[in-house]
Amino acid sequence: MELALQQKLVARLATDREFREKFFADPARVAATEGLTVAAETLSTLHHEQMRQFARLLRTRRLAQVALRLPLTRKALGQRFADSFRNYAVNPPAAGQRPSEDAIAFVKHLEAQAAEKGLEPAWALSLARYEAGRLAAEWHNQRLVIRLLPHDVKRLATLMAAGEVPLGDYRRSSLAVWWRPTVASRLKHWLS
Amino acid sequence: MGRKTEITNLLANLPRLGAGLSYRRPFRDELLQRQSEVDFIEIIGDFYLDAPPEKLDELALLMEHFTVIPHFTTLSLGSAEGLEERHLEKIYLLLKRIAAPWWSEHIGYTRAGGINLGHPSPLPFTKEAVETMARNIITARRAIATPLILENVCSPLIWPGAEMTEPAFIAQVLHHSGCGLLLDVTNIHANSTNHGASPAEFIEQLPLERVVQVHFSGAHESKGRLVDSRTQSVPESIWQLLDLAVSRAPVRCICLERDDNLPPLPEMLWEVERARALGRLYKRWN
Ligand SMILES: [Fe+2]
Repeated sequence: MELALQQKLVARLATDREFREKFFADPARVAATEGLTVAAETLSTLHHEQMRQFARLLRTRRLAQVALRLPLTRKALGQRFADSFRNYAVNPPAAGQRPSEDAIAFVKHLEAQAAEKGLEPAWALSLARYEAGRLAAEWHNQRLVIRLLPHDVKRLATLMAAGEVPLGDYRRSSLAVWWRPTVASRLKHWLS
Repeated sequence: MGRKTEITNLLANLPRLGAGLSYRRPFRDELLQRQSEVDFIEIIGDFYLDAPPEKLDELALLMEHFTVIPHFTTLSLGSAEGLEERHLEKIYLLLKRIAAPWWSEHIGYTRAGGINLGHPSPLPFTKEAVETMARNIITARRAIATPLILENVCSPLIWPGAEMTEPAFIAQVLHHSGCGLLLDVTNIHANSTNHGASPAEFIEQLPLERVVQVHFSGAHESKGRLVDSRTQSVPESIWQLLDLAVSRAPVRCICLERDDNLPPLPEMLWEVERARALGRLYKRWN
């Protein structure tokens, strides 16, 4: 029973930056408000810096999982992919959340970021939405997924697969469709 | 026959596989071209649970060409709140599909109080944590007959209130659960170096007769600490630990792990070949 509470406290500290900073400023008070007093007493000598490093390790692993599912977006954004992810990952993933759901949620974050402050290059967002569409169709039982995107996704994907860095704005509408006639059938895809 | 001998015999009957690597989708086609250069591949089993038909096609293709060893990360054997029955069922079905000689998980937890840590995280080195692992493994064994081996994790975090050392903790977990060991030498190197201990001494303190599989990978320094990043080539210090482990333990296979920042496949295959030669040197396989 005690271990369960301790694990909950450590999990919270490792994944929730705001909670972590508040906790280490005043462990007893914060633990009391969360009903974790007993766990916090046992863990009173938890090391703040170790916890920060542990949190960083978990975030790096989570980033690797998401990047694996959004290869074009990652290539398009370069270092900005990890920077945006850091802002996105201030909250822990929900229990039972799969990496593909995490990747889709991260693309939503990129959309919000692009709407607010813009995203460089602009076509990276089309690639991100394209890859999120594929994940939804592949992994989340959506039998029909349609995305209308403002950039030439096909051309961009071909260039990037060949290891080239696309220059220019690539403005041209793309229509991406995925469909699965029955649950057991293979996914079909059309991109124009 | 005592329980200990029984377990050692069970592990001794597992096949000797040789050297291989953890499978990553980006090098699939190239790997298929050079399949004779790996003795097996390790897949992340979690990626094939609830998988769409395309993913299962990929698995079928891999099974056609390689011996496939499944490695899991999200069952959370160290969770005090217990295991999820449905998760076990899914693993059971996948193992049945693969017909794997064994499967592996971590000495750690990923789930607590509705939070998903996403990666196996360390446990306190206490009797309560040993009992928790043992209890959950009994539940897992009831659902899955395939032999289970457990991997030591890497963590910059040490829980306060330890009642024993980490090697003693690992030994206790193996003793009470009857499992084999997946010895990750890079994790040991990172933990020992960061916490000011000797990795070789750490290895010597483990019940080495339980080792079935070995993981090794690169490591790099970040902000003055050693991180098992699985993104770098393997440094000599790790090769030395691997040598020690293979010389002392009845290793059935050695697996190179690489996560991110994949180098060209030939580079990894060279490291696999070097590991295979090490196994030959100590007569772990032909
Ligand atoms: Fe490992």
